[in-house]
Amino acid sequence: MSDVAINTKREKKAQLGRYGKVGHVLNEMDDRLGVAKGGKTFMDKIFPDHWSFMLGEIALYSFVILMLTGIFLTLYYVPSQAVVLYKGSYLPLHGLHVTEAYASSINLTFAVRGGLLMRQMHHWACDIFVGSIVVHMCRVFFTGAFRKPRELNWSIGLTLLTLAIVNGFLGYSLPDDLVSGTGIRIAYSIILSIPVVGTHVAFWLFGGNFPGTVIISRFYILHVLIIPLVILGLVGGHLGLLVRQKHTQFKGEGRTEKNVVGSPMFPIFMAKTTGFLLLVGGVTALLGAFAQINPIWQFGPYDPEKISYAVQPDWYMGFLDGALRIFPAWSFHSFGYTIPLEVTIPAVVFPGIVFTLGYLWPTLERKYTKDNELHNLLDFPRDRPKRTAAGAGILSMLFMLFIASSTDVIANFMHISLNEVLLIMRVLVIISPFVGYIVTYYICKELQGVDGASQRKTPNIVTRTATGEYVAVAAPKNVNDQHVELEAVPVPNYVTSDEVVEATTSGVRTVER
Amino acid sequence: MPLTALKNRTAWMLVTMILASSFVFFIGAAGASPKESPYTTSRYNAGTPNSSIVVNKDGSITAYGNGAIIYTLPKTSLAALGQALYATNCAACHGDKANGVPAHSSDPRYANVRAGNYPNLRGVGSAAVMFWITSGRMPAAAGTNVQAVRRPPRLTYTQALEVAAYIDSLTKTPGLPYVPNVNLKGGSLSTGASLYALNCAACHTITGDGDALASGTYAPSLRNVPANQVVEAIRTGPGNMPRFTGNLSDRQVRDIVKYVTGYIQHPQNPGGLGLGGLGPVAEGFVGLALGVGLLCLAAFWVGERQ
Repeated sequence: MSDVAINTKREKKAQLGRYGKVGHVLNEMDDRLGVAKGGKTFMDKIFPDHWSFMLGEIALYSFVILMLTGIFLTLYYVPSQAVVLYKGSYLPLHGLHVTEAYASSINLTFAVRGGLLMRQMHHWACDIFVGSIVVHMCRVFFTGAFRKPRELNWSIGLTLLTLAIVNGFLGYSLPDDLVSGTGIRIAYSIILSIPVVGTHVAFWLFGGNFPGTVIISRFYILHVLIIPLVILGLVGGHLGLLVRQKHTQFKGEGRTEKNVVGSPMFPIFMAKTTGFLLLVGGVTALLGAFAQINPIWQFGPYDPEKISYAVQPDWYMGFLDGALRIFPAWSFHSFGYTIPLEVTIPAVVFPGIVFTLGYLWPTLERKYTKDNELHNLLDFPRDRPKRTAAGAGILSMLFMLFIASSTDVIANFMHISLNEVLLIMRVLVIISPFVGYIVTYYICKELQGVDGASQRKTPNIVTRTATGEYVAVAAPKNVNDQHVELEAVPVPNYVTSDEVVEATTSGVRTVER
Repeated sequence: MPLTALKNRTAWMLVTMILASSFVFFIGAAGASPKESPYTTSRYNAGTPNSSIVVNKDGSITAYGNGAIIYTLPKTSLAALGQALYATNCAACHGDKANGVPAHSSDPRYANVRAGNYPNLRGVGSAAVMFWITSGRMPAAAGTNVQAVRRPPRLTYTQALEVAAYIDSLTKTPGLPYVPNVNLKGGSLSTGASLYALNCAACHTITGDGDALASGTYAPSLRNVPANQVVEAIRTGPGNMPRFTGNLSDRQVRDIVKYVTGYIQHPQNPGGLGLGGLGPVAEGFVGLALGVGLLCLAAFWVGERQ
């Protein structure tokens, strides 16, 4: 009896074909939806394997984590500035009148199972999201991946960075704790400082004077719906352009402007990238579980008359905060108007210049180098010393401004006068771009002259002759470093399509399916 | 002739206008400046002897205050012992008469020191003396430092009381406030937390870690400050710190002390490692170095390296 049963099973399996039940399901789907052709193109897409191409994926996957944890948080968060009596479990707040936004943030932290973990993962994922965008942008910039034909994708990326920073700030503001309320106050002042329209924009956005009663609910809808939707759409466009324009690649054996050398999407890249998604999730979960971030219960609720010293924004707003801190107090009062240059220049004009320069860079470089060719092969940063040096200069200035946002912590930690730290930071911010440019330029020039730079070192084999003389002979090159001509490996074709027969009847056009 | 007249007239008009406008300006400035008046407080039980005063048989006050804080005067019998301690530990800077004129003016190390360079201790009140000595800030490590540093105290608590009694004995009436003793029972944590955010966090930070102030001064950390020293600091205003008397009642001070010695000194970190209470500076460092750094390493691990 049992023999028969096994045979039937085998027969059933044989009936299903080579790919078993999965193949069967896919076949059924293809019959109805025609997924095979698109799926084949997708699965055959070639990805170059260099590790630095994975950096953008950190951003992509941390955005996935942001959305998942964010959806969880929206279930418990109440975006309202209505005042309620806090009766939760955290004693130092017991019996205080706080906004509903703050009370619900505290409750989702302490009373919701897993709420604190989700909040911390959301916050850490945000820090990682913006950080990985910056690292990814550095890779793209210093290797010249933004050049023709990819200028549009560079602009989309820069827009994504801007939106990520803005949305990070909005999310940081939502709990309505003492520190974030101070942040909103600063944002309000920055908007006020915009010439001519500042007051009108600020009053329109806040529904009147600061703090008003609507700003939290407006920030909420921007934070959870509008900006994420725009980010999602732009991410789609970013990846769509990437697929359409194909990936860039580093110079190497068999790599030309016309081909893409790498592994196919399925199964190699799919396995890598899935593993990478899990790694990003794992690191975020570990940080969320073991490192405390933004303890809003210690900060207490926001009251305009209260303030804490030693508060900074999240790291990605640091350069703005630093610029505000170290700028001299220049403001003028005339004809009934205050012109607060101390706010307008560092917080409106300066970031405006930096981001405009970012958008214009591909065009500027094309004009300057008169290079209108299509580029699919990447530069090594040392081969373009001026671009590398300019990037390093701008980055060192932004880094110094970032450091300047913690002047008080530096002064306290190193036991030096806060006034001296302020002065030193002013000097450093001004000279750092020049020093960064010059140093990087000469390092690049030096590296160009180094024989076999970026090549793996080969050992010297030292032998002692009978007469006692030592002779050093360079060992043969490492097997992996030897020049190998690559040949394209055709990807096996599993899709069989019937030949299209042209219809003869007039008015009927045969469409290839 | 008409031209010169015009010139003269223009010049005179200018001078008159300048004079008139400066006159208006000064009048306005004088009107705008608030009138100086001695500081008074009508607040009940605010560190001053106006409640539950214990009067001795000879008419002197030894204690006042209420259930929240009791202020006690050091026993006058300790003054004799305090005199010797004062001479060895304090007189070098504050002077033999405790008036801030150093004793050893002839010493070349004190060549630049004149009267008024060191604080006058007469009438400062025993709470101030106790704060500076029991927190180890006095005797100072170096008398000319911008700010005295908290250290393990050189004098014991009793010795500090003796010095305070001696300084009290130098004036006709002992200075205020007396040595406080706070009773934390029945204090409200949430009132304390709210008052702390309003009055203290602007310098000591909301987590109580302290931070740098202008020109080399700093607000010290509150992590290891005993309850009575917190009261002494609030009531006497050491160094840069304002002196809170009229605007905080004894009960409010008790609430603040309860919050400081409770949640500030023993913060609950349910979210994991507290990262030193440094806020976004430490968080940004961890997020970039650990988070992004680890993931870059992971990318390096997963991807090809050449």
